[in-house]
Amino acid sequence: MRYENPKVPEGINVTSEHPLKEFSQLLLGVVAVTVIIVVMLTLLAERIAQHIPFQMEVEIAGQYRGKLPVRTAVTDYLQGLADRLAVSQDLPADMRITVHYVDDATVNAFATLGGNIVFFRGLLEKMPDENALAMVMAHEIAHVRHRHPVMSLGRGVVIGLALAAVANFSGNDLAGRVLGEAGLLTVLGFTRQQEEEADQTALATLARQYGHVSGADTFFMLAKTLPHAGIKEKIPSFLSTHPATENRIEKLRRLAQQNGWAMNQPTRPLPESIQVQIKHRSDHESGNVSTHFLPR
Amino acid sequence: MFDLIVLGTLLTFGYVFGQIAEKRHYRSILRREQQLRQLLLVPSRFPPMYVHPPQTFLVSGSVVISVDFFKVFVAGLRQLIGGRMRSYESLIDRARREAVLRMKDEARKHGASMIFNVKFEAVPLYKGQRNSVQSVEALAYGTAIIPARRPGT
Repeated sequence: MRYENPKVPEGINVTSEHPLKEFSQLLLGVVAVTVIIVVMLTLLAERIAQHIPFQMEVEIAGQYRGKLPVRTAVTDYLQGLADRLAVSQDLPADMRITVHYVDDATVNAFATLGGNIVFFRGLLEKMPDENALAMVMAHEIAHVRHRHPVMSLGRGVVIGLALAAVANFSGNDLAGRVLGEAGLLTVLGFTRQQEEEADQTALATLARQYGHVSGADTFFMLAKTLPHAGIKEKIPSFLSTHPATENRIEKLRRLAQQNGWAMNQPTRPLPESIQVQIKHRSDHESGNVSTHFLPR
Repeated sequence: MFDLIVLGTLLTFGYVFGQIAEKRHYRSILRREQQLRQLLLVPSRFPPMYVHPPQTFLVSGSVVISVDFFKVFVAGLRQLIGGRMRSYESLIDRARREAVLRMKDEARKHGASMIFNVKFEAVPLYKGQRNSVQSVEALAYGTAIIPARRPGT
């Protein structure tokens, strides 16, 4: 007589369920919960941040005073423009705008804590007229007015802490990273909303300042011609801090139309002395003589 | 953004190759289990009674199987909410069965008819680093019995 071990049926220790099913269920569930938590925390943080007095913002920003660029004639011109626009925007009296001008080829401008707005030479070089510059300036002032810098600080602190905690406790870097990405993408939705808000305020400011909104879309048209613009436009907007340039232009034009703000009035040129200053600087740099001014 | 692309690529690689390896391994396990079924496995600590004392010796089989990236990732998500670690279950299952098969293979080479006092060990291998892809070692060992030849055969 021969003995043999019986054949053990399969599927006792191992499930026959498709591995992708578990994967998608887990991923969707965890990401959904993360998004909900991030949205709640962000709303909470922003709500609280708005109640931080502007003076406190100024004090936080004051800690970095040592690294400020030297003030030049261009800075004074930008400051003057900012002050005029601040009046047009009905900026509360306690909100002081301080403009800084950085002699660097970066094509950018940003607003940060304490009403500090930074302009780079690279951006000024590309500005064909004052109206285009005023639009960018009004946009940054609008960020300050709507308390966006302090809101994003609050958001950054809260979300950063929350996600770091989750990543730490999950005991698994990969899962933590996915949660982090999900959280960041959710936050991006808020920054896109802020950009739109600032665009709208800026347009209204421009209309009050000049009586028309010509040149409001110049910067965005320009943004499309920048070296990286091609790549940036291909990135879907849910992955981006800013709304798609195309959408922004379209929204501005629609808003101008609704309010009867003309977009085809003659624009005001940049002061001659400022143009010379900006141009003069760029001549020094890597033999780059062209001034990049766009055709009107 | 870049992170997500890297992660997606790693997951795809892990999934495709991990699944191919697992399917292939299970096919081989089922085939060899069928071939070696006649070699009995007995957990009892004592050998059966023989009229003629048999020859006995220690046999062992061990195997190390690595998790793939996909399994690690799914397990990581699973750790957040708890429940059956399905992605690791097949791994341990394969390791244990493969170890037994290797042990049986060795026993058969020596002409054994059964292995008694079969025991298992399983050891996770990783250096304790986070993010490291872990592997698992399974060891099966037991005492193989070669029956004494009956006089006259």
